Amino acid sequence: MLEVEGFSAGYQGNDVVHDVSFHVDSGEVVMIIGSNGAGKTTLFRAICGLLSPSSGKVRYDESDITGTRAEHIAPLGMRFVSAERHLFPQMTVHENLLLGAYPRNPDHETMSIVLDLFPRLAERRRQHAGTMSGGEQQMLAVGRALMSKPRLLVLDEPSTGLAPLLARGTYEALGVLRQQGLTMLIAEQQVPLAMAFSDRGYVLENGYIRLEGTTEELAANPGVRRAYLGVT
Amino acid sequence: MTAAILDGLVLGLQFGLLAVGLTLVYGIGGVLNLAYGQMVVVAAIAVSLAIGAGLPVGLAIGVGLVAGGVFGLLMDKTLLRPVYRRHGEPRVLLSLLLTLGLAFIVDGLLLWRYPLEGLTLHIGGGPVEILGVPMRRGSLLASSIAVAAFIGLFLFFRNTILGRAVRSVIQNEEGARMLGIDPKRVRTFILVSSGLLAALVAITRSMSIPVTVTSGISLTIFALIVTVVGGLGSVAGAFLAGIILGIVSSISASLIGTFLTLIILLGAAALTILLRPSGLLGVPEE
Repeated sequence: MLEVEGFSAGYQGNDVVHDVSFHVDSGEVVMIIGSNGAGKTTLFRAICGLLSPSSGKVRYDESDITGTRAEHIAPLGMRFVSAERHLFPQMTVHENLLLGAYPRNPDHETMSIVLDLFPRLAERRRQHAGTMSGGEQQMLAVGRALMSKPRLLVLDEPSTGLAPLLARGTYEALGVLRQQGLTMLIAEQQVPLAMAFSDRGYVLENGYIRLEGTTEELAANPGVRRAYLGVT
Repeated sequence: MTAAILDGLVLGLQFGLLAVGLTLVYGIGGVLNLAYGQMVVVAAIAVSLAIGAGLPVGLAIGVGLVAGGVFGLLMDKTLLRPVYRRHGEPRVLLSLLLTLGLAFIVDGLLLWRYPLEGLTLHIGGGPVEILGVPMRRGSLLASSIAVAAFIGLFLFFRNTILGRAVRSVIQNEEGARMLGIDPKRVRTFILVSSGLLAALVAITRSMSIPVTVTSGISLTIFALIVTVVGGLGSVAGAFLAGIILGIVSSISASLIGTFLTLIILLGAAALTILLRPSGLLGVPEE
């Protein structure tokens, strides 16, 4: 579904990620793990069209989307949920969700699916997004992306800034989506959370992919266990 | 006193309408259009020339609206393109310099080609009494148009997909892009709307005061004052600030005298900045 090849990107001519290749098949959940500063966010921003890559290729559904701007990628059914959430703070929760279905108005069914997944958003419907807690904002960011019925959800650090309990809650909701067969690509530095829930993964270190494998293979790797799972 | 408040309301609605076109454009990540007054003037001159050419007033007003819209469209497609590529403070500063230059050029051209042109729309009929105060028909018509424009804007921004998309780009451009909303199109839409609103200002204002080729700079200044008080980028703020400042200036004019009105308005704007840096309904910087 998504294929990234020899991909490099960065800021002001300084590449942060180098020669990265990976792929996500339909129905899979794939994680990119790595510590803070490894280049996960830069990689995702460049894939999703918020940053121009310096070299490499991105194919989505067999069509080349390298360097396509975010506003033209979103209508293809690939949705990005950024770690910064990028909500519309002076709009209500309801309005934020409505915009998720742009350029149409959402049907009632999609709206109720999202509100069932995040009952909290239903309670807060009339509240301004900017006044909500971090956990609620994360729910809204994911919920807003789901309003467009995406085929591929790209999540950058869904646990960022959340207390452990809320981070687990977020992953529980993502688990429901996984069971429904939604394809997801997730960057995460809280590796145990992502591991509990993905099929395959790649380890990104200093901008390079160092390791790849199924979740079981990565969990068994001594280096991964030491660096990311707190096992000595 | 009732007369001063009613006059203030009439004036305030005009202030509010004047500020909306400026505040919306500023909402595009800080594009400050100092040629906004010239937009109003160009639309007014277009109406005046069309009437002079023998067109009926209704059609001439249409010409003015087109002139305003095209002015906005041309700015969006030419002068503002390098502005859009900058972000933050450089965007504000570059837009300020470029549009100020445009204001001088437009002023110069108009003064050279049409030095004596100006627009006054005479609304016939005697005064109408409201709460015992005789009000001119022109003022009432201008106020009704302003109220209708505000209601239209509120409904548009609350209830339409395009309206919400415009607000989303103003509040978080990157977030909007992630949803497939093209900021480029939204910017063009805002600039054209701003031109249409400027034309509406030209039309309503000329129902009580002539709009001449030299009116540009003072219109921009008034729009800026109202925008600063209301909060940059806020339509509701422009409306509220317009009404408040209109009443303040009308009461101060009746108590102290017209000559101090501008000073008092500037004082009100400065006071607002001191007490609430982001304006009455503006968005505080994060």
